[in-house]
Amino acid sequence: MAEQHTVTDSKHKASSNTGGSLSGNSRPSAAGGGGGGGGLSGGLTQPAGWQSLLSFTILFLAWLAGFSSRLFAVIRFESIIHEFDPWFNYRSTHHLTTNGFYEFLNWFDERAWYPLGRIVGGTVYPGLMVTAGLIHYRPDVHLHLPADAGALEPGAGLLAACFIAIVPGYISRSVAGSFDNEGIAIFALQFTYYLWVKSVKTGSVFWTIGCCLSYFYMVSAWGGYVFIINLIPLHVFVLLLMQRYSRRVYIAYSTFYIIGLVLSMQIPFVGFQPIRTSEHMAAAGVFALLQAYAFLQYLKDRLTKQEFQTLFFLGVSMAAGVVFLTVIYLTYTGYIAPWSGRFYSLWDTGYAKIHIPIIASVSEHQPTTWVSFFFDLHILVCTFPAGLWFCIKNINDERVFVALYAISAVYFAGVMVRLMLTLTPVVCMLSAIAFSNVFQHYLGDDTKRENPPAEDSSDEDDKRNSGNLYDKAGKVRKHVSEQEKAEEGLGPNIKSIVTMLMLMLLMMFAVHCTWVTSNAYSSPSVVLASYNHDGTRNILDDFREAYYWLRQNTDEHARVMSWWDYGYQIAGMANRTTLVDNNTWNNSHIALVGKAMSSNESAAYQIMQSLDVDYVLIIFGGVIGYSGDDINKFLWMVRIAEGEHPKDIRESDYFTPQGEFRVDKAGSPTLLNCLMYKMSYYRFGEMQLDFRTPPGFDRTRNAEIGNKDIKFKHLEEAFTSEHWLVRIYKVKKLENREPLDHKPRITSLSAKQKYTSKKTAKRKRGYIKNKLVLKKGKKLNKKSV
Amino acid sequence: MASATSGFGFCLPVTYFFLILLLCVNSGGSQKKKENMLAEKVEQMMEWSSRRSVIRMNGDKFRRFVKAPPRNYSVIVMFTALQPQRQCSVCRQANEEYQVLANSWRYSSAFSNKLFFTVVDYDEGADVFQQLNMNSAPTFMHFPPKGKPKRADTFDLQRIGFASEQLAKWIADRTDVQIRVFRPPNYSGTIALALLVSLVGGLLYLRRNNLEFIYNRTGWAMAALCVVFAMTSGQMWNHIRGPPYAHKNPQNGQVSYIHGSSQAQFVAESHIILLLNAAITMGMVLLNEAATSKGDVGKRRILCLVGLGLVVFFFSFLLSIFRSKYHGYPYSFLIK
Repeated sequence: MAEQHTVTDSKHKASSNTGGSLSGNSRPSAAGGGGGGGGLSGGLTQPAGWQSLLSFTILFLAWLAGFSSRLFAVIRFESIIHEFDPWFNYRSTHHLTTNGFYEFLNWFDERAWYPLGRIVGGTVYPGLMVTAGLIHYRPDVHLHLPADAGALEPGAGLLAACFIAIVPGYISRSVAGSFDNEGIAIFALQFTYYLWVKSVKTGSVFWTIGCCLSYFYMVSAWGGYVFIINLIPLHVFVLLLMQRYSRRVYIAYSTFYIIGLVLSMQIPFVGFQPIRTSEHMAAAGVFALLQAYAFLQYLKDRLTKQEFQTLFFLGVSMAAGVVFLTVIYLTYTGYIAPWSGRFYSLWDTGYAKIHIPIIASVSEHQPTTWVSFFFDLHILVCTFPAGLWFCIKNINDERVFVALYAISAVYFAGVMVRLMLTLTPVVCMLSAIAFSNVFQHYLGDDTKRENPPAEDSSDEDDKRNSGNLYDKAGKVRKHVSEQEKAEEGLGPNIKSIVTMLMLMLLMMFAVHCTWVTSNAYSSPSVVLASYNHDGTRNILDDFREAYYWLRQNTDEHARVMSWWDYGYQIAGMANRTTLVDNNTWNNSHIALVGKAMSSNESAAYQIMQSLDVDYVLIIFGGVIGYSGDDINKFLWMVRIAEGEHPKDIRESDYFTPQGEFRVDKAGSPTLLNCLMYKMSYYRFGEMQLDFRTPPGFDRTRNAEIGNKDIKFKHLEEAFTSEHWLVRIYKVKKLENREPLDHKPRITSLSAKQKYTSKKTAKRKRGYIKNKLVLKKGKKLNKKSV
Repeated sequence: MASATSGFGFCLPVTYFFLILLLCVNSGGSQKKKENMLAEKVEQMMEWSSRRSVIRMNGDKFRRFVKAPPRNYSVIVMFTALQPQRQCSVCRQANEEYQVLANSWRYSSAFSNKLFFTVVDYDEGADVFQQLNMNSAPTFMHFPPKGKPKRADTFDLQRIGFASEQLAKWIADRTDVQIRVFRPPNYSGTIALALLVSLVGGLLYLRRNNLEFIYNRTGWAMAALCVVFAMTSGQMWNHIRGPPYAHKNPQNGQVSYIHGSSQAQFVAESHIILLLNAAITMGMVLLNEAATSKGDVGKRRILCLVGLGLVVFFFSFLLSIFRSKYHGYPYSFLIK
């Protein structure tokens, strides 16, 4: 397939490209180091050279570790796109490269959302496709370096780079083979933040413009740009509150807001949203406030102190009040759209559950347990508060930003698992600060920059690094002994114990990351693997088998109905028209499909007729025990359908009277006769998987199915994959005439005799049929007898 | 009305001819009587419901107004046990929700005589409970204008819960009456907030000459850390999912604080994790303090060792808890 050779050449391109961005980023961090530790290394020119060489080496090693740990999926399986969403990205990138950019923007995709179609150019964040189209490679191994930390603290930058290279929270979205927006978006996010911090620090328009361009890239890549456009104003606002206002802040924010606004409106999907929706109003409000504040500052020079104070308080509170009221007024009159459901559900956490079942149904949108925090971040989750503590203790303009970023990101990550992604970089940064603080004090002063990262990268290349470490150990001893005199130390024993244990913890982190990456985040969802008792592996390739069957055996314009999870894959791999897909923008259409799946066959047939469905594709895991199949998702279909068609579908009908969801004999009759059930278990009752279990035993739900005698009237089985994972049904065309269930009714009249009119030309009088005739009786007389 | 029934009763044993004759006369009369009766009933119901949004019923009233046939209105009945000696805490919560719903209907613009909300308390109408074969409270039932209540006319409390929105949805489903639930705004939150704001404002005003403490970084840092710990230990998950505090095994009475699966957690568990995280962070901070502070070396050494102990011990403890939840995780540190 096409994507196979792209991967082979992607490796070269990726390495060259990332190398470029790496050297680009390492410079500022080194510069920051120079600024921070200038006094130390200023005198000695030689160590400075060593320093940059070392930091470059470490960055390179970190990049290598990050790159290789992302390759698990490709090496274990093959180089295909593994997840669901990426198939759409792949498809649109393909369209972009074949037809050009303008054609792409105007692309009307009639293959999706049949019969509505989808205006792709206007409903997509094109950043990823453009990036991939330009360099013809997958940005999956985009390793970026948190230059933010570099700007904050010299030693921590390198450590943070090492953390972020291998941390699972980030790997989960950027493994090779997941061709997704987030991979480049997080890079853009970090780069925007770095440039923003830089521009606040310097107050130069140059950096701010850079920040805007990076913001533009972010807007074009991911809807999460809203996080930036709220966090940066928050930073400015807090700086104002802390009376840390300065010209630099004014220049940076004014420039950023104006240019960023104009640039973000260039993306067709975003359009006029930045001035019409509530999500962006905070930025506008802070902009107005900043202007008022700056104006008052200007007046300060012209007025006496007493006058100024009253004017200042009056002015600031007036400005804040006016801005607030304006926003409320505009929202009320409808010029500004209120918060959209997805964002609103971040604040009011119960909102989505009641009002938007489709958002609540996505597993990525669930709240986060502590286990998944720990799973994704391991030791960092316990140490990054320490970094935050140090940051707040020695606060300055930039650290305000980091602290705000950390607090807001940790909140969002708590609400939604998916937003763990935005939390990960800042956690890496702050933990790096915490660790580097400790190492700085316990490894002696001079070695603080080199040693910790060198140790951290030790896990990827043990031998080489131990040599490295040994080298520096010699150096350490010298410097430490020098320093002993200057200040009273804790003694070398304690110091070395602390260092050893800390290094051990970091090593455990590295081991954990590798384990998690290889076991949890590198298993693709297109190809499944099962392991036998002896450890050999079976690859279940049912998905591709089925999609290929669709591609080969069905009409080019055939319309396939499936649940929305598989929409992008059908479009991408089978190249057939789908009804709904993973871009869940039209709830009622999805509800209609859900309704078809959850009603009985004849009702479903009507819906399918009206939607021109030719094939129905379902995923059934009962044979191999795959838990992510459609029966397990079925309740969501019912719920979503009920949300739109409460008259026809009722969730309670699908439960037993005891309130259980069962597929066996005790299950509710509505469930046992709905289309999804019938399609899943069609002819399954004949199949005995195991000698210990009865025929028709569902391994996923551990139950013998309740309806083994399934017959279809309007559908026929078209294809079932090897392990029954994918089943495809063909919707029969209408027959000439619907045959009746019963015999034609025969009226008794026609059988008896034919009615003929007795009217003749002579007798024109009418007569009454079956007229009552009076029979004159005779009185019984004794006489007559 | 009473005369009509008695008249009817009287005419039963009369001869055939008489019967037919009476029926002809009486059917017209009973039609009118029925209408009168219905109007009377509706009027009575309206009067009650104008006084209170939920009509209290005893056994007799229930039979007459809810069960007896000539009706053109739907009745929603909550069967409950509100007396304090019954100790039904769910009933009280359900009652509150029910009142909210009934008030929303009572004061909505669409209020009509098509739908009434009533309540039957067990202590006032135990016979009704027996009659309907009902053995649990609270139960919500809908009595349609015509015919008997079907299966779906009993509200599925177990599964959907008794939030008034859900009740309203169910009613809309059964009766075609859309009720927009209007909750009386909960002022307690606002009052608490106002109190807090005024308290803080007052404090600031009292100490207006000495506002140094606002710039106290330790306080801010503590606040930030509190947020972080609350989130990383999954308090948000608790808030959304509402898990039990801990699980008590009904067989042997053992209390387990840690949930066995990695997909869920107990409240107690998240508190333990919060403390562990805080201890590790404190250890890191202590390590740093020990190295930077200027003081007695012995003290600093102790500080340093305590910090190290905190980090290492609690981290290994955390790891062991994680291991017990995440089956198949191979690594551990110090503690199995």
